[in-house]
Amino acid sequence: MATTAPALTPAASGYRSGLYEWLTTTDHKKIGILYVANSFIFFFLGGLLALGVRTELAQPGLQYLADENLYNELFTMHGTVMIFLFIIPMLVGFGNYVVPLQIGAPDMAFPRINALSFWMLPLAGILLFLGFVTGGAAAAGWTSYSPLAQDRPLGSVGPGQDLWIVGLLLIGTSSILGSINFLVTIFKMRAPGMTLFRMPILVWTVLVTSVLVLMATPVLTSALVMLFIDRNYGGSFFDPANGGNAVLWQNVFWFYSHPAVYIMVLPAMGMISEILPVFSRKPLFGYKAFVFATAGIGALGFSVWAHHMFTTGSVYLPFFSLMTFLIAVPTGVKMFNWIFTLFRGKLTFSTPLLFALGFLSMFLIGGINGAFSAAVPVDFALHDTYWVVAHLHYVLFGGSVFGVFAGVYYWFPKMTGRMLGEGLGKVQFVLMFIGFNLTFFPMHALGLSGMPRRIADYASDAGWNELNLAATVGGFLIAASILPFLWNVFVSLRSGKPAGDDPWEGNTLEWATSSPPPPYNFDHLPEIRSERPVFDLRHGRAGSGH
Amino acid sequence: MSSSPRTRFAPGSIWAWVLLASIAIGLILTVVTGSVGALFPPEAATAQGREIRDLYTIVFVIAAVIFFVVEGLIVWTVIRYRRKPGDDELPPQTHGNNLAEIAWTVVPTLIVAFLFVISWQTLNNVEAVSAEPEVTVRVTGSQFAWTFDYLDAGGNSVAKQTVANGEGGILALPVGRSVQFRVHSVDVIHAFYVPAFLFKRDVNPDPDGRESVFELTIEESFAGEVLRGQCAELCGLGHRKMTFEVHAMTQADFEAWLVEAQQTPSPAPSGPVGTTLQLVAKDITYDTLELEVAAGEPFAIEFDNQDVAGITHDVDIRLADGTVVANTTEIDGGTSTTYVYGALDAGEYTFICSIHPVPSMTGVLTVN
Repeated sequence: MATTAPALTPAASGYRSGLYEWLTTTDHKKIGILYVANSFIFFFLGGLLALGVRTELAQPGLQYLADENLYNELFTMHGTVMIFLFIIPMLVGFGNYVVPLQIGAPDMAFPRINALSFWMLPLAGILLFLGFVTGGAAAAGWTSYSPLAQDRPLGSVGPGQDLWIVGLLLIGTSSILGSINFLVTIFKMRAPGMTLFRMPILVWTVLVTSVLVLMATPVLTSALVMLFIDRNYGGSFFDPANGGNAVLWQNVFWFYSHPAVYIMVLPAMGMISEILPVFSRKPLFGYKAFVFATAGIGALGFSVWAHHMFTTGSVYLPFFSLMTFLIAVPTGVKMFNWIFTLFRGKLTFSTPLLFALGFLSMFLIGGINGAFSAAVPVDFALHDTYWVVAHLHYVLFGGSVFGVFAGVYYWFPKMTGRMLGEGLGKVQFVLMFIGFNLTFFPMHALGLSGMPRRIADYASDAGWNELNLAATVGGFLIAASILPFLWNVFVSLRSGKPAGDDPWEGNTLEWATSSPPPPYNFDHLPEIRSERPVFDLRHGRAGSGH
Repeated sequence: MSSSPRTRFAPGSIWAWVLLASIAIGLILTVVTGSVGALFPPEAATAQGREIRDLYTIVFVIAAVIFFVVEGLIVWTVIRYRRKPGDDELPPQTHGNNLAEIAWTVVPTLIVAFLFVISWQTLNNVEAVSAEPEVTVRVTGSQFAWTFDYLDAGGNSVAKQTVANGEGGILALPVGRSVQFRVHSVDVIHAFYVPAFLFKRDVNPDPDGRESVFELTIEESFAGEVLRGQCAELCGLGHRKMTFEVHAMTQADFEAWLVEAQQTPSPAPSGPVGTTLQLVAKDITYDTLELEVAAGEPFAIEFDNQDVAGITHDVDIRLADGTVVANTTEIDGGTSTTYVYGALDAGEYTFICSIHPVPSMTGVLTVN
């Protein structure tokens, strides 16, 4: 074992205590925890915004929002916050905490840049929310299509939209810096013996994600600057009223924002690829195929952006249709790899595995209902209806959010030295699983019968009443599932069961050090001969079946 | 190394069953919601929509098979391979299987290739545009109104229907004839969407005025039906109100309707009025936000809409609580009219454009 220091007295292991330490830290583990905590705050805020939307839609008629513009602000900010301030930074946070540990490194390559990347995020969040007190937050949708996002009557007048642009610029800069940091860390700081094909899958997914971020985010950043110029300095990039091109914005926006879907789901896939082997006591089935599938998704991810634009009449439809269908193949490969990791395993149903199985079963639906929109004529019917809302939530909630909670239950003991309660964890899982399906499954039917997205009200005779009510009840069930989680974290931090170094019989190097790990992580490392060094240490080479 | 499942009560099995129960509840929800609103699109009202629906059905069947096979595999694996209490032996450490991995790469590739080919074929049929359509309608989207112009062979409008905030005219269409739509927007992006057509097309503003063109043919069996249409692209505050009705008509009924629609009714203000005020709208802004009239006598507003064609305005009068006192008919950009209002009691009223209820089109009418 790497260390014999008592796990629950971080001060004894050389940490300075207090707020000052957290504000100035350059330790990747503390920064990782800051990312996770910050992301959860925005998750709860984004969730409240979603409850506002669902409450208004529970019944036909305008009941709660006298100001209809507020409704547009709610769903705009919900999407923006959940994507840019929750899912993406949350996964960066796990990457920050886990990647250096898993490759046997003492820290990230550039610790101060790492701290800078993080501190841009709360600032960006504050700027985004400032819109609510300066005459209205951004209200043109998280996609901010021009010309609606332009400074024009009935468009986006006021500072909310500018704050949105500046907030996203900060988040984009944070992402670019973070991706460079990850790439240098992964390429230059691996421990001796940690070859590329012995890296844990989470590290591979963070690697591919970082390449996506590095190549795609600058495109969004330039587009945001151009939109800012349009709005404030008389530019005409995206405004047809001044000779600009409205569809150009959609091209540059989705050139980033489609790869962003993979940025939001690949690391979550990496997390459950760590968890499924541990809880089935088997190696990941088809490690190399999984790596190539991840790289394949990353590469194909740059050739499908216009499938968000099939109804514009301005893109070459067959090409983007073909590429969108093709991306299902590497995704399918992964699904079978996961299932055959479980196959003939010995499964222990701890909370991390439950959430990982939630990911598997729900992301499957998100993949399948996405294939409908790849068939362009079917997309003519489904685009911009509630079907799409169902699809994206089965991917980003059914996939990413279930993956995030799997990761939280799995690595919380490493981060804090305390176990989370299993009972409360399972209560949370069941509530969330049912609430999630009750919210989003009915939206398939709503979309098929023609309910468009982004409307505050609908006709009472359109046949949408029951399904909307079901979705709203489900939404509150999801909110209820957060309460046992918060209580669980609170109780565990105060008096949770001590975790020990390796509570799950893990495979990867983070389980070869104390919980929480000391500064610079390791006193010494076990020998690395496979992607499961700690498994090898526990069972010897015979056990690994090499 | 035995892996035969035991039925003994064990902590692991409880949670396997909880998971199973959760998935079962999910599936029940599926069935319940499926029975309320079917997982199929509505019956298609156009020939093109019928092709899309057929394609949907093929995709749905393949998707359903994949869903039940893979989801079933997950559930079965989870139940079958529970770790039994006290079992510390490792399962076989399988790292992969080339044959299986090739199979689950090749088979999905073939499936998606098939789906791509059939959807491309359908796409070609849906997108086909004829050189000489039997009916041509120009659709103009604006915040928050639809204008439908029926064009003659020379491209001139012979009849016009305006639907502002979901009220006003209709989109009348003949059954059994190819109708070409030429859509464009005068401000932001809208989307022309009729769920029963299983079709939508973005209505884009373009600096050169280019239009997006598509054709639909309504099925004969839909004659006499009224279909719901709606803007599908977020276009601002009044997005949800941008609805319209499609009235599918027999060809004879359509011809008669068109003749009637061509006779544009001219509003004839009558009776003596007191004051006549002037009001101009341009760039979605009234030229003044303060008007004054005498109490107890009718008055008129000569209203000039100087915005471009497609942007409609009106001048309604409301009380402070929003109660509508006078509801006027909106006029298109580039036209003017004279609105005549009945006598009002003294007090302060709001005059407002009902299509654009923004501060720049909301003024105070003082009645002395």
